[in-house]
Amino acid sequence: MNLLAKYFPNAVTMKGDFLQATGETLYMTAITAIVAGIIGMAIGIGLIVTQPGGILENRVVYNILDKLVNLCRSIPFVILLAVIAPLTRIIVGTAIGTTAAIVPLVIGSAPFYARQIQNALAEVDHGVVEAAESVGSGPIAIIFRVYLKEGLPDIIRSSVLTLISLIDLTAMAGAIGGGGLGNLAINVGYSRFETDVTVMAMLIILVIVFAIQLIGDLLARRVDHTA
Amino acid sequence: MTNEAIIQLKDIDVTFHNKGQTVEAVKKVSLTVERGDIYGVVGYSGAGKSTLVRVINRLQRPTAGSVEVSGQDILALNPRELRTARTKIGMIFQHFNLMASRTIADNVGYPLKGRLSRDERKKKVAHLLDLVGLSEKAEDYPAQLSGGQKQRVAIARALANDPEILISDEATSALDPKTTSSILELLKRLNKELGLTVVLITHEMEAVKEICNKVAVMEAGEIIERGDLVTIFSRPEKPLTQDFINTATQINQALEKIFRQAATLNLSESQQLVQLQYVGASTDAPLITELYKRYGVVSNILYGNVEILQDTPLGNLIVVMSGEPDKLAAAWQYCQDAGINITHLNPNDSEVA
Repeated sequence: MNLLAKYFPNAVTMKGDFLQATGETLYMTAITAIVAGIIGMAIGIGLIVTQPGGILENRVVYNILDKLVNLCRSIPFVILLAVIAPLTRIIVGTAIGTTAAIVPLVIGSAPFYARQIQNALAEVDHGVVEAAESVGSGPIAIIFRVYLKEGLPDIIRSSVLTLISLIDLTAMAGAIGGGGLGNLAINVGYSRFETDVTVMAMLIILVIVFAIQLIGDLLARRVDHTA
Repeated sequence: MTNEAIIQLKDIDVTFHNKGQTVEAVKKVSLTVERGDIYGVVGYSGAGKSTLVRVINRLQRPTAGSVEVSGQDILALNPRELRTARTKIGMIFQHFNLMASRTIADNVGYPLKGRLSRDERKKKVAHLLDLVGLSEKAEDYPAQLSGGQKQRVAIARALANDPEILISDEATSALDPKTTSSILELLKRLNKELGLTVVLITHEMEAVKEICNKVAVMEAGEIIERGDLVTIFSRPEKPLTQDFINTATQINQALEKIFRQAATLNLSESQQLVQLQYVGASTDAPLITELYKRYGVVSNILYGNVEILQDTPLGNLIVVMSGEPDKLAAAWQYCQDAGINITHLNPNDSEVA
């Protein structure tokens, strides 16, 4: 404890703030992960099945989804935060605060996740899809029983990747009023020259990221039977 | 064997458009497969044979033509009806196409989900795995199996819906010769025991020779020759067919060696290098002895081979015949009268007969 007090003189007095900030970060991450996860998954599957040669090939739908994803992905997140503020106000009622941060977070991460899902599902052997078609499987069965099942190890790996980049985004959102560890690191640690607060916030984020990576790797290995 | 047509393809055209290029993969092909047939479709890669058979279960929609399977117009079906029709047409593939994330039992049971109850499914999967000889592998994953075993699993999966037809798309091409034989034997057994009609696509005439009763040869999107196996093997008309057959019966390899030594054979005026080919009954006649007794023609056998196709022997001999020119001519006539196909081989011809 003495060691902690020696190296983190300001941080040790802010236990409550850190707990709250960690809670906010996890809250933003979790809610965004669920919402963006569903949206991204749906778009990713949509891209795979409507792509040329896909099981529900549709050039128009594919192009719309593809362009939409590219458009959202090409806007830098810091700018997105500002641009999206009016929309956030309509949806949440305010553009400031942890819940308000979830709107830009979803828009910032869902397209990224959609691409990750698309890439993961693209790895599913087309021959396997064809074999399923040849025994009479329809599109719904092929999506759920072939694509999502066969692609699961890669889906887990890309979910981990997305989740980690999402934590990165929550830190950025936090810095402009979303709260969380990013807010603490910048608005307290950096602005007041209390570097130890910044370092402590960073260390907590590191622990969260490592934990997600570890759990993800374990899960992926568990469902992967390719070797 | 009934003569009921189970698959009827008529005037099938398949044209692909790719980046401004038009490829006619299949051109005006008609094919009739009868119930109980093991119909071989042979051709080199790119001949269009895969594309053609994928038309049968509409994995490939033809640009033109009509497809009838078990009396049903496949091209007129809506997606739902097509899925039902597909359950009666099993298919196996070159690369097995098993699901890596499922156990062997789950792979085989995949088509049955939603169609059978849990218990019925379990029973059926056990029966299918027993049929292909893989009962003890039920809980393994595909990655733990050898190629031949994987193909057996794929066959079990293809049979799960009790299909009437099995399409084999180069199913033995990734397997070693011994495993190939065992898979072909399994297909033959299924054909006999379950009355399964098999369409076998391959680039290896050996596979066709082992199990098919009929064969079609494809080249550049067209069927250039077709018929029952024995006829095609004994009287191939097109050079490509002859080439396939000679490779399968290993005559090509034999001829190559013989031609290489042709110079050392030093054939004189009174000697002829000939190939004798005979089908069925004429195999039994002591031909070489007869030729000597009747005409004093001596035959030196350089290569001999007998194939049993559909219980019909098909023999090939490469001999050097020696004798007086007129005797040789008489011997030649005798062979032809006996129903033996006799051809003169010219060693200076680099092109193999």
